[in-house]
Amino acid sequence: MENKITLNPQELQIQGILDRYLASGNNRIAAEGSHIDDDSLSAFVEGTLNRRESDSIVSHLVDCGFCRHTTAELVKLDLAFAEEAPAQIAAQAEPSKISEVLSGIFSKIFGTTDGAVFAHEEKEKKEKDEEKEGE
Amino acid sequence: MNDALQRHCDSVVGQMFERCHENAPNFGVTSECFSKSLNSTFAKFAGSSSDELSDKDVTDFLGQIQADDLFMAIACANGNERAWWEFDQQHRSYMERVARHLARTEMDATDIVDAVYEQLYGTRIVDGERVSKFATYSGRGSLRGWLRTVIWHSLVDRHRAGHDEVSLDEMTENVGEGGAHANFAEQPVGGDESMVDQITRERYRTATVTAIQNAFSSLEDHEKLILLYYHVENLKLREISRLVESEDSPLRAWFQRKSATREKNPAGRIHESTVMRWLEKCYAKVLQSFRTQLVSESGLSEAEVAICTQLATQDLAGGSFFNNLNVSRSAAEVSN
Repeated sequence: MENKITLNPQELQIQGILDRYLASGNNRIAAEGSHIDDDSLSAFVEGTLNRRESDSIVSHLVDCGFCRHTTAELVKLDLAFAEEAPAQIAAQAEPSKISEVLSGIFSKIFGTTDGAVFAHEEKEKKEKDEEKEGE
Repeated sequence: MNDALQRHCDSVVGQMFERCHENAPNFGVTSECFSKSLNSTFAKFAGSSSDELSDKDVTDFLGQIQADDLFMAIACANGNERAWWEFDQQHRSYMERVARHLARTEMDATDIVDAVYEQLYGTRIVDGERVSKFATYSGRGSLRGWLRTVIWHSLVDRHRAGHDEVSLDEMTENVGEGGAHANFAEQPVGGDESMVDQITRERYRTATVTAIQNAFSSLEDHEKLILLYYHVENLKLREISRLVESEDSPLRAWFQRKSATREKNPAGRIHESTVMRWLEKCYAKVLQSFRTQLVSESGLSEAEVAICTQLATQDLAGGSFFNNLNVSRSAAEVSN
């Protein structure tokens, strides 16, 4: 049968010993330096890094339980949400509702409205433009 | 990078910008801003190896960039309203579902998404400029994959804030589906005392632990990682196969580097049974190295090696039940 487990008794024993050894954390080596950034972690999980980039990441993941656990959880998440198709935006609300949507987002986060946030930026931009014109 | 390669890079980036701008003309992203982001990512890539890069390397690398996602991220980092609106339409509900999946309560999930939005917009000002988390997205993976990672780390930070005394490792094992394993503790010895006296047992124990440590250390990093995913992170075969699903996955390429199957069908799906075979190869290598260590380094006979293995199995796993458990797990997964 194609999928039959082919481990011999000795390999089964070593599998068990290895399992307990690895699970014990005795193999843990504190990874030097900082953890892998979000950008590289997600790209690694999606398999989009090439060999030259990923070698150092694989090496880090062997030693760093934190980053490895993160990648493992991301794989589980990836599978859990794999069925979902990207949201279609074409048929959704018109851009005229942008302010309304952003207002909801930013009032929730900052206790203010998007109008205030973006108006502030607009003002800064306007001031900069005026400065340039003045020069 | 030499001038000719830089010109080629600029040309490809220029074409990418045109396509993205055509798809999202209202995002207000300038060609300079887009090029700056990609040049920074490319410099990181080019710096990861001393090998000379060709035009093809540049084209291949830039071809893998999720350009439209990057374009949106740059626009959002710049505070473009239209981009924020589209981002919210496309990704908010997904982010909420991911947060709900990870968080314990609905309120936690909502708080996490709000906190992530705050990070994405950026409330910190450095040198007069708002620092948006979007600026750290390079387009190497999908925006959704990156968002998942940001949400995950936000959850970890949140958990850490409430558990100061817990180590990072302990804490991450409690977030998501990670579960703790039992310790590598010495089990009380049963009725086999008559077989091997305590001193001999201790000698065998030391030799065995050293041998398994060295055997694992002798593996290549890719082999170690797949074993760690399976035994420590408890990833199922299906989940590991997902990790190597991409045709370009370096882990997959490493395991298939001498495979005729890869040459015949490089884009073929990696089945659970394939991952199981990779694991089996790792076990065989560990076993070989383990035995060599015990015989060559510790000077044990074949009979003593067998005793060591048996003792380790008893001590570490509490008897033969453990092996049966492992076989059941693997067999059940493969048969699914």
